[in-house]
Amino acid sequence: MVQRGSGVVLSLAGLGFGYPGEGRVLQGVDLDLAAGERVAIVGESGSGKSTLLHLAAGLEPADAGTVRLAGQALAGLDEAARTRLRRVQVGIVFQSFHLIPTLTALENVMLPLELATDLGAAQRRERARAQLAAVGLGAKEGREPEQLSGGEQQRVAIARALVHRPALILADEPTGNLDSRTGEAVFALLLEQVRATGCALLLVTHSDALAARLDRVLRMQDGQLQDLAARASAR
Amino acid sequence: MSRSLVHAWLRDWRRRPLQRLLTLVAVVIAVAVVLAVDLANQSAQQAFDRSMDEVAGTATHQILGPAGGFAETHYRDLRLAGWRATAPIVEGPARLPDGRTIYVLGVDPLAEGAFRGVASDIGDAPVQRLVTEPGTILPPRGWWADAGREHEDRLILESAAGRFAVTLLDRAAEGDEAATDVDGEGASLWVTDIATAQTLLGRQGRLDRIDVSLDDAALETLAEQLPDGLELVPVAARDQASRELAQAFRINLTAMSLLALLIAAFLIYNTQTFAVLRRREVLASLRLVGAGRRALFGVVMLEALLVGVIGTLLGVLLGIGLAQVLVGQVAQTMTDHFFVVAVTEVAPRPLALLAVIALGVGLSLLAALAPAWEAARVASPGRLGRGRLERRARRGLLGLAVAALVLLAAGGVVLRLGAGGLVASFVGLFLLITGFVLLLPLVLAAALRGLARLGRGQTLPRIGVRSLERSLSRSAPATSALTLALAAAISVSVMVGSFRDSVEQWLGQALTSDVYVVPVAPAAARSGARLPAEWGQALARIAAAESVSTGSSQDTPSDVGMIELYVVAPHPAWLDDLPLLRAEGPTEALDRRLRERDAVLVTEPFAAHHDVAVGDRLEIRVEDGRRVFEVAGVYRDYGSPQGTVLMLTQRFYAGTPGAEGVGSFGLRLPEGADADVAIERLEAWLAERETAAMVTRPGDIEQESMAIFDRTFAITHLLRVITLLVAFIAIFGALMALQMERAREFATLRSLGLLPGGVRGLVVFQGAVLGGFAALAAIPLGLGMGWILIEVINREAFGWGMDLRLPWGEVGETVLLGIGAALLASAIPAWRMARMRLVPALREQP
Repeated sequence: MVQRGSGVVLSLAGLGFGYPGEGRVLQGVDLDLAAGERVAIVGESGSGKSTLLHLAAGLEPADAGTVRLAGQALAGLDEAARTRLRRVQVGIVFQSFHLIPTLTALENVMLPLELATDLGAAQRRERARAQLAAVGLGAKEGREPEQLSGGEQQRVAIARALVHRPALILADEPTGNLDSRTGEAVFALLLEQVRATGCALLLVTHSDALAARLDRVLRMQDGQLQDLAARASAR
Repeated sequence: MSRSLVHAWLRDWRRRPLQRLLTLVAVVIAVAVVLAVDLANQSAQQAFDRSMDEVAGTATHQILGPAGGFAETHYRDLRLAGWRATAPIVEGPARLPDGRTIYVLGVDPLAEGAFRGVASDIGDAPVQRLVTEPGTILPPRGWWADAGREHEDRLILESAAGRFAVTLLDRAAEGDEAATDVDGEGASLWVTDIATAQTLLGRQGRLDRIDVSLDDAALETLAEQLPDGLELVPVAARDQASRELAQAFRINLTAMSLLALLIAAFLIYNTQTFAVLRRREVLASLRLVGAGRRALFGVVMLEALLVGVIGTLLGVLLGIGLAQVLVGQVAQTMTDHFFVVAVTEVAPRPLALLAVIALGVGLSLLAALAPAWEAARVASPGRLGRGRLERRARRGLLGLAVAALVLLAAGGVVLRLGAGGLVASFVGLFLLITGFVLLLPLVLAAALRGLARLGRGQTLPRIGVRSLERSLSRSAPATSALTLALAAAISVSVMVGSFRDSVEQWLGQALTSDVYVVPVAPAAARSGARLPAEWGQALARIAAAESVSTGSSQDTPSDVGMIELYVVAPHPAWLDDLPLLRAEGPTEALDRRLRERDAVLVTEPFAAHHDVAVGDRLEIRVEDGRRVFEVAGVYRDYGSPQGTVLMLTQRFYAGTPGAEGVGSFGLRLPEGADADVAIERLEAWLAERETAAMVTRPGDIEQESMAIFDRTFAITHLLRVITLLVAFIAIFGALMALQMERAREFATLRSLGLLPGGVRGLVVFQGAVLGGFAALAAIPLGLGMGWILIEVINREAFGWGMDLRLPWGEVGETVLLGIGAALLASAIPAWRMARMRLVPALREQP
C-alpha cells in the first residue's frame, strides 16, 4: 500500500479509449494523483469522465497509454491480478450506490474486508461496525438496502469504499441520485471520511460547486483533461 | 396492433437468441414426447387390433375345444350337417430365421369366403397353390419390402413342432390385384393352408378352433348340436383381457409423457416470464408513447403464439422421428405379453396431430398469460421490476400452499376411494404430484432462509443463497421441474426395482425343478405346444429323477369368459414353494382339497381382474364339460398379466390325463446329483425323438424371463431420460436467467475485488443449492409416487402385487444425478458471468 502523503497513487499517461464505431472517448489523457490528494473531474455528459474512472480502476482495459495504480502498470497484469490490486488499493463509490441487495448494511461494509484482507470474521465485523458508525449508520447495520433511503444507501457505499483503507477512492457522481440537501450532506461526509483516512480521491461530478471544494479541478473536454485550477491541498 | 409495436417487441429475438431458443426447446420436447408416445401407442394398438381382427375375421363366435385342439372330424361333421358359415383354423406362432416371431394362420381357403379381413384376403391364384402345394405360405404384404426375399423363395420356419421349409408366395406375383390395393396394411399374419399349418405347428389331424358367423337363433341350435368337449364362445370374450391389458400398458406410457409435459410447462413459464421481464423498459417506453394495455397484452401473447407454433411444428417433426424408436419397443412389449404384433409404420393420425398442435400452442399461450398480464399493467419500468414481481411471488406463497393442501387432500381421496379405474388412479396421482410441487416454493423459501441464517458471517455463500431466495419466481419453478424429473426417476426405480425383485424371487419359488423339458418353440408359442405325456416315466428314468411334474397351459371357457388354465401334476410338497397370498387352512389340507375336490387356485392378477376371492366359485370347462370349482387360494404369479387358474391334472381329466400331451416336464433330481450329467443323457434321448424338445435349467428360464421383463421397461427408462433432459434444460434456463438478472450484482462484486473464479464458484454454488434441494425434495415425492405406482396403479392396471423395495443405491445415484445436472447446467452461466464486461453490467438498471 502506498504511504500516505507521499508518492503517486494513480498515474495515467497518454491514456486513450474508444468504443467500436463511436470514435475516441479519451485520448492522450495524463494525470498523476498524489497520495491523499483530492481531485475533481467535471465535464459534460458523455465527455468520458466515468470512462476515465473505469480505466483507472482497471474495470475496463485502456486501448492506448498506461494506467499505473500504486506503482503497478495494469497493462501487464491479467484479470485476476488486476482484481487483486484493485480490491486492496481502490474503493469505489458509484452514482447509483451498487449495494448488494441481498446483504444487510453491515454485511455490505464487511464485504471488501472479506475479499481484500485476512481478518477473521469477528475483526471484520468490528471494523465494519466502526466504519458504519463513522458514517452515522451504526443503528441501521441490520437493514437491507431497500429498507434504507437513497442518502443512507450512499453512506453505506462510502463506508464500504473506505473500510479496507484503500489508497485511492474513485467516486462517480456520488450525489447524482440524491436530492440537493442529501447530496450536500453525503458529499461532506465523503470529504470528511477521505480526510480522516488519508486516502486520495478522484471524483467525477457535474457540479462545479462541489468540485471547487477539492484540491484540484480538471475539466474533461473532447476526451482530454484540462487543469482548471490548482488549489492548496489543505483547505 | 401496430407494426412498430410488434417490431419493437420482437427485435429482442435477435439480441437474445439463447433465451428464445430455450423456450422453443421446451415446447419442442414437450410436443415431441407427447406425440411420440401417442403415435407409438396408437400404431402399436392399430397393429394389435388388426392382428386380433385378422385372426378373428368377421366371425361372431368360435367353437373351441381342449388345449392342443380337437379332431378335425368335428368340422367335417358340422359341414355335413349343413353348417356352411363355418371355417376351420389352426394357428400359432413361429419364428423366422432372423429371430422375429410371426403368427401363422392356417385356413381352409375354400371355406374362408366372408370370414377373413383385408389382411388375409385370399386372391384366386394363390389359393389354388396353397391348397395344391403343401408347404406354401403367404407372408403379409408389408413383409416383402425389407425381407430381401422373392416370390417362391424357400424359408425355414421354427415352431413348437420343429423346423420346416416353406415356399413363399407373393400375392402380387400370383396375379392377386387386391394385393396391391392395400399396400402393406395389416402386415402381421402369415396365411397358409390348414394342412400346412397342421404340419408346421404339430397339430396333425386337429383344429384349434372353428370360426362361426351366425345369427342368435341359429347359434342356439348349433350349441345344442355340438359334441361334448366343444364349446361355442363369443369372439369378443377371447381377446377382451388382452385388449384391456394392452390399454393399461398404454395408459402407463401416456402418464409418463404427461409428466414430461408438466415439467416442460414449468420451463415454458419460466422462460416466458423472463422474456417479458428483460424487456420491461421497452414495455414502459411503449406505454409512454401511448401503447394501450390491450396492445401490450396482445404483443406478448403474439410472441407466445409464434414460439408455440414454431416449437410445435418442430416438435411434431421430432415426435414422429421419436415415435419410430418407441413403436418398436411398445410393439415388442405387446408381443411379449399379449399377442404377436408387427408394426410396419408410424402413421400420424390427423386428429392426434391436431390435438398435439393445440396442446403445444395452448401450453405456450397459457404459460404467457401471467407475464402478458404483468406487461399490460406496466406503467413505468419500476412497476414491472423484478423486486415487485418477487414480492408478489412471496405474498402468493401462502395461497399456493393452501391450494397445495387442497390438491393433496383431493388426490388422497381419489386414490382412497379407488373408484373410476386406472384413469382415476392416475388423476389421483397427478393431484398428489401437483399438490406436492405447489408446496415446494414455500419449502424452498424456508430452506433458503434457513441456509442464509446458517451462513451468517460467510458473506459470499450468503449472497448466493439470499439471491436465490429473492428470485423465487425464477428459482422455484426450475427447482420444481428438476424435483419432478428426479422424483419420476426415483419412482420408476422403486417400481421397476420392486417389480424386478419380486419377479426374480417368484421365479426362484416357481421353478422348483432342477431340469425342465419343454417343446422347441418361440417363447410366445411355448404355452400352446405339447409333448407326449408318456415321456414322463422315460424322462424320470433317464435323468434318475426323484419326481416328475407336468404343467400345461390352455385357454378354456368359464363363467367369467375365456381364461388361462394351468393344469399341473406337481412335485410332492409343492405348496410349500408356492407363494400363497390367501388360502384357508394348512397346506396339507389345501393340497388334499385340490386333489380330491373340485377346487382351484388363482393368481393374484386373476383375482383382481375377475374380482374373485377365496371361497368364490368358478364354472370352468374341463375335459368332460363345465363344472363348478371353488377358489381355494390366491397365489403370487407374474407369468401372465391376464391371470391364471391353477388346477390339478386329476380334476381336469375325466379319464387318462394328457391324451393331447403336456406343456412341460419338470424333473427333480436327488440331493447331490449332477444336473449336467442328467441333461446330457436327456438331450441324447430327446435327439432320437420325433417331437422337438429341449432341456433347460431354471437359470435359463429365469434369464429369458428377466430379458422380457427388461425389454418391457426399456421404454420407461427412455422416457425417464427425456424427462431428465427437460428438467436439465429447465434448470439451465433458470440459472441463465438468474445470472443475467443479477449481472449488475456480479459486476459490483467484481469491482469490489471478487475474482472471476469467485464468480464462477458463486454461480456453481447456487446451482448446487438448487440441485441439492431438488434432489432432497425428490426423495419423499419419488418414494411416494413409487409406492402409489406399486400399490394402486399396478394393482389397478395389471393386478400384480409386489413387495416394496427401497432402492437406496438408485436413490443415491438420482440425488447425485440431480446435483450433477444442476452443476452442469450452471457451468455455462458461470463461465459467462466470470467473463462478462463489467462496465456495461454496472450500468444496468437495478
